[in-house]
This record gives sequence, structure tokens and C-alpha cells, in this order.
Amino acid sequence: MSTNTTNETLNASCPECEGLISFDRQPLSGQIATCSDCGAELEVISRDPIKLELAPEVEEDWGE
Amino acid sequence: MNSTAPLPAARVSRETGVAILRDLVATKSLTGQEQDAVAVFVEHAAAIGFDAHTDEVGNGIASRQGEGPVTLDIALVGHIDTVPGDIPVRIEDNILHGRGSVDAKGPLAAFLLGAAEADLPPGVRVRVAAALGEEEDSPGAQHLRDTWRPDACFIGEPSGWDGVTLGYKGRLVVEVEVTTPSGHSAGEDRSAPDIALAWWRDAMVLLDRLNAERETTFDTFDSIHATITGMGSESDGLTDTARMTCSFRVPEWITPEGLGPELRALVREDDRVTLALGGFEPAHRSDRNDACVRALTAAVRSQGVRPHPKLKTGTCDMNVVARTWQCPIAAYGPGDSGLDHSPIEQLDLDEYARSIRVVREAIERLAQEMVVARDSAPS
Repeated sequence: MSTNTTNETLNASCPECEGLISFDRQPLSGQIATCSDCGAELEVISRDPIKLELAPEVEEDWGE
Repeated sequence: MNSTAPLPAARVSRETGVAILRDLVATKSLTGQEQDAVAVFVEHAAAIGFDAHTDEVGNGIASRQGEGPVTLDIALVGHIDTVPGDIPVRIEDNILHGRGSVDAKGPLAAFLLGAAEADLPPGVRVRVAAALGEEEDSPGAQHLRDTWRPDACFIGEPSGWDGVTLGYKGRLVVEVEVTTPSGHSAGEDRSAPDIALAWWRDAMVLLDRLNAERETTFDTFDSIHATITGMGSESDGLTDTARMTCSFRVPEWITPEGLGPELRALVREDDRVTLALGGFEPAHRSDRNDACVRALTAAVRSQGVRPHPKLKTGTCDMNVVARTWQCPIAAYGPGDSGLDHSPIEQLDLDEYARSIRVVREAIERLAQEMVVARDSAPS
């Protein structure tokens, strides 16, 4: 699930709780942001317009 | 070859990419005996447009750069040595079978092909290293650590083509030796193996206590684990000797240097125990906003799939270079690390092809971002 930016160029809504996510400047590709409302970790999957998606969880893996 | 002239990105056919990988896998390169495989690496690298050579310690190095003097340096560090185990090299049903296909010639070849195909902005250099000895004490990566200062680094280890490895646990190797006067096994005195195993049991109690004192997010990555990797005993009729090699995998919250004294403190005064500590490699975990992690993550996404960020319970050359280089760093490569060191080591060639595209795009994304940061920095 992903969301489009809202009216402000540097704002987006959280795909989990629809809370407002504001960036001070254009985010970097792949940047991880945390929703201040629900705490979800979100990944920037598009910079312009800003699109966010729930970031995949880190997995443990055996080996090198 | 010493040419530093900018070279256009090569477009390497799938057949050539597979041939390079197959040649690397087919050339045996046990740790300490990597020269022939390094020569194959250098020869293929030169043929697809790199400035390629063997460095002072024997690492294979392949380099290319955008126009002008180098202002940004991206290192891609793979390793060319393998553990023992002859697996007949063959391609069946688009699967390459062979020792090193996963750990780690597949990742190394993907680095070479991806770097060959990447468009490089002016001032950006990529250097692919086929490092020696990763399966033991990493002399190749140690040399790179001491002589290179890259601005960013990718480490070539299997993450799966859609995975991105953020970090590895650290390591401490402990060689235990116990000597006692020989005696009858029916006697009251503890034997040398008894004493060695008593120390081991105490070490396990220590680890349980240290782990219990920590709140952990990941069961394995955030805990100390240990295993006995070798043991034996002998007697010359006068003295009995027991030896045991123990590998301690350490998380970020304790360094190998910090754990060592705790293990030494378990030795009782009346025991004839000596501990030799080695293999000091601290754990390393990159932040998810690390530039290399993001570049790989975005490159995987561009292939239409959801990336899998991973933390590994093993140790690799990331542990050797990360603390010194202090630059963005992440590990990547095709293959299932569950097949590392196994008798069925094999790599899907479609996965290999996808990983080459990911490496190429990750380099281009990272280079572009670094150039923007460089050019916008106050002079």
C-alpha cells in the first residue's frame, strides 16, 4: 500500500494511519521515515511526487 | 595496464556474464591458493573495459572511472577464495553448480558486470576487488582497509538478489589448551578434556547471563552465541593435552576485546588452562538510511519487487573494513547463503542476471546522489 503526496509538495500521508508526514526538504530515494502518529517505519519509494510505503521489516539470516 | 582514460560503460551480453562466472567458479581458489582465479578475474575484467591488475598482496583489482580526476570513490569488495569441497562445475536447467558459486564468486562476478555497465558521472571511480582469504583471516581485505579510503562501499556476499544486508555479527576465536600430568582415568584428578569442558560450561553460563541483561530486538543478531569448532586431546605418557577451538559470535553491544577478559576470568588459578584470543572482528550494522543501503533498496525496487533488508549472523569482510573506513556500506549479492559451504552450492543464473542489473543501478543511483552532495557542499 502506498500513498501520494498531499497538497504540500514536501508532505505525504502515512499509509498506515493517514497521519501527516512532513519533510524539511525533498527526501532521498529509499529514505526511511517514522510516522510520528503511529510509529510505522515508512520507505520513500518515489521522491517527486513523494510516495511512501510501509518499510519491509529487517530479517535475520544465517551465514555470510 | 595503467590507462586511466575514462571508459564508456560496457554492455556485456548475458552469455559473456555467465562465461565469466563459470570461469571463476571452475578455477579452484582455496584460501591461500587464489592466484589462478585472480588471474582469471583480471583477464576478464580487462576484456570488458576495466583497468585491471593484481595488487601488492595478490588481490585482483578492476577499476574504471568517469571523466576527469577522481573526486568520489566507490569500492566493491568481493572475495575470491572458497572453502574446500569439490563440486563438479556444470550448468543444468539454468543452474550453475560449483564451489564458490554463492560464496562468493556469484556476488563478485555480479559486482564486476554491474560496475562494467554503470554509467559514471565525471570524477566518480568504481573499483572492484577480488579479495584474498576472506574464509580465514582476510589478508586481502586487511590490505584494502589499510590502503584505500573509499567514499562508499558495497561488500559482495550472498543476500539473495532481492535482499540487502545491513550488517554482520562480530567474532572472537578462542583457542583453549589444557595440560595436566598424565594419570589413570579411574583416578580422582580431572582430565585435561574435563577441565577444558568445565571452562566451556562456565563460558555458556556467562553468555546466558550477559544475554539476559540485554533487551534484544533480534534473537540471534543481538545475542552472543558460541560454538566449539574443533577439539581433541593427546598424551605422551607424561603430559595430557586437550585443545579446543571456540568461535564466539558477538553483537554490537559487546566488542571482541570486551568479551575476551570475561572469558579469561573464568580460568581458575589451579587449572592449567591457556587461552589464545584471535579473530577480533567487531559487529557492524549500517543504518537503514545509509546511502549504500538506500541505493541497493531502490535498485531492487526498480526491478518490481519488495526488497528484503537483512542482518546476518555470520562475519565477513564488512567487519574488517567498516570501522576504519567509516563510510556508507552495505552487502549484496545473488544466491542463498544457506548454501554457503554446503555440498549442494549452486546459483540460479536468472537470479545472477537480475543481481547484475541491481548492482548497476545501485552504483548509478549512489554516484548521482554523491555527486549532487559533492557539488552542493560549501567550498
